[in-house]
Amino acid sequence: MSQRLYEQTFYEILEVAPNATQQDIYAAYHRAKATYSPDSPALYSMFTREEARELMNLIEEAFSTLCDQSRRREYDMLLIQRHQGFHPESLAASAQPGLPDFKLPDGHDHPDKAHRKVVPSASPVKPPAPAKKESLPEGFARTRMSVYEVDPAMEAEIQQQTLFDGPFLLKVRQYKKVNLDQLSEGTKISRPYITALESNDYDALPAPVFVRGFVVQLAKVYALNEKLVADSYMSLLRKAKG
Amino acid sequence: MSAPQKGEKIYYMRGTMSPEARIIAVGGGKGGVGKSFFSSGLGIFLANLGYNTLLVDLDLGAANLHTCLGEEPGENSISDFLSGRVSSLAELARPTRYRNLRLIGGSNDPLDMANINDLHKSQIMSSLFHLKADFIILDLSAGTHSTTLDFFLMASHQILTVTPDPSSIENAYRFIKSAFFRKIKRYEFQLNLTNLIGDLMANKSQHGIRSPADLLYFVSKKDSKNGELLAHLMSTMNIQIVLNQVRTTSEIALGPSIESVCRKYFGINAQFLGHLDYDNAVWQSLRKKRHLLLEYPHSRVYAQLMGIARTLAGPRKEKKAIS
Repeated sequence: MSQRLYEQTFYEILEVAPNATQQDIYAAYHRAKATYSPDSPALYSMFTREEARELMNLIEEAFSTLCDQSRRREYDMLLIQRHQGFHPESLAASAQPGLPDFKLPDGHDHPDKAHRKVVPSASPVKPPAPAKKESLPEGFARTRMSVYEVDPAMEAEIQQQTLFDGPFLLKVRQYKKVNLDQLSEGTKISRPYITALESNDYDALPAPVFVRGFVVQLAKVYALNEKLVADSYMSLLRKAKG
Repeated sequence: MSAPQKGEKIYYMRGTMSPEARIIAVGGGKGGVGKSFFSSGLGIFLANLGYNTLLVDLDLGAANLHTCLGEEPGENSISDFLSGRVSSLAELARPTRYRNLRLIGGSNDPLDMANINDLHKSQIMSSLFHLKADFIILDLSAGTHSTTLDFFLMASHQILTVTPDPSSIENAYRFIKSAFFRKIKRYEFQLNLTNLIGDLMANKSQHGIRSPADLLYFVSKKDSKNGELLAHLMSTMNIQIVLNQVRTTSEIALGPSIESVCRKYFGINAQFLGHLDYDNAVWQSLRKKRHLLLEYPHSRVYAQLMGIARTLAGPRKEKKAIS
């Protein structure tokens, strides 16, 4: 495969505009997958199977970066730095807070593991390493799913809190700017259960053993003390149910 | 070499000439993929939309566009123009049963008509440029003969009809490749690529160049001015794909796939115009020597052809009551 393709941006590889929405990227990925799968009739006499496989690897690589909002933002910053005809305003649409990241279908080899080695290390399209905490501006912090502004008063309140009920968990989620959809996607807890949990609607929750698991998951995302939060919530639940 | 300054004219095109009409060439590489059927259908619809349309049968030596249209074989043909019996192709255009649609056929051509020389080819091309009409549709022959490629390249809309069969797809790509190299070979001295293009045409790769897109990358790296000229040449290829004889919905996805392969391999922007269903009505109407559009106006192919014709015609310009 020629060097030319390795020098293309992920947007060029997926044939989408730099300001494409997540839906556009997802649709482009599916189109590309249909086009460059080894048995695709459209490749006949143009690309060999080997070339198609390499192209497919590049496409997987591009998709795995662009489908993830935070990785895409980092990649965009990298492109802007490299002056590859990218301007921040053309990327405005790529920063869409609250849009869920697309996941690869189940059973799909995650391209991160399978194909990362395909791109030579000198290639300019190599995605950046996962951002480190210190890359954030001062006064900001991140969870697994969001970036939020640190409020010392709220931090202190969380530190001193001993009673972790639904409304408090909701308050923490809103403070840490974690989107309900993202949370549901990331923890695999359905939205109705998260809502029930946050509104202390104990009747709508499943058996306690599951609820404990949910609360631990949420505590992990919010970087709270898992045991403390789970014990507190479960004691409230036991009290309410009698 | 320094990068071109803003406003600096860098393109010196030989023989640049703008035609009087919008020329649509219909090729496809392979035979039996529906070039004549599509040309005739497109002609009828464009004429029906009110455009003065001229169909030209350039399948020299195997002309049968009149049969597809359901017209009688004409008395005059392109050979009369080449022999000097008439002074221009316009004199050969005869009206058809469809309003606004005229035909230059080739039913009476001599049997060796397929082997025209370069002089005759230039005469035909030059005369086509001077024909007055809104649209001129060229129905080309199968294969990648240089005459066919030159007729194809002179058009502003370069349409390829492709069927979902591997043989048709292979020939279509081969056709695009041949047309592409035929076009840039004229500029090989300007681009300083004398041996490279010959090697590429012979399928020998050099400097890791396997495709036209690689060639552009290579040329641009070497000399930005030449890169710009080549990019300009590539951008003037205006290939549009019509997928014919589609039997299943999954086959329609081939259209966008071919677009993508053209972008990745050739570095040119091919456009998928639309698809036509496989329909028994097509051969049934051909047997009756009446065009499908008259015989089966309720078929899906009718609607699909009309959609493609409308896309090609673009938005209509309103005629002003007072000029």
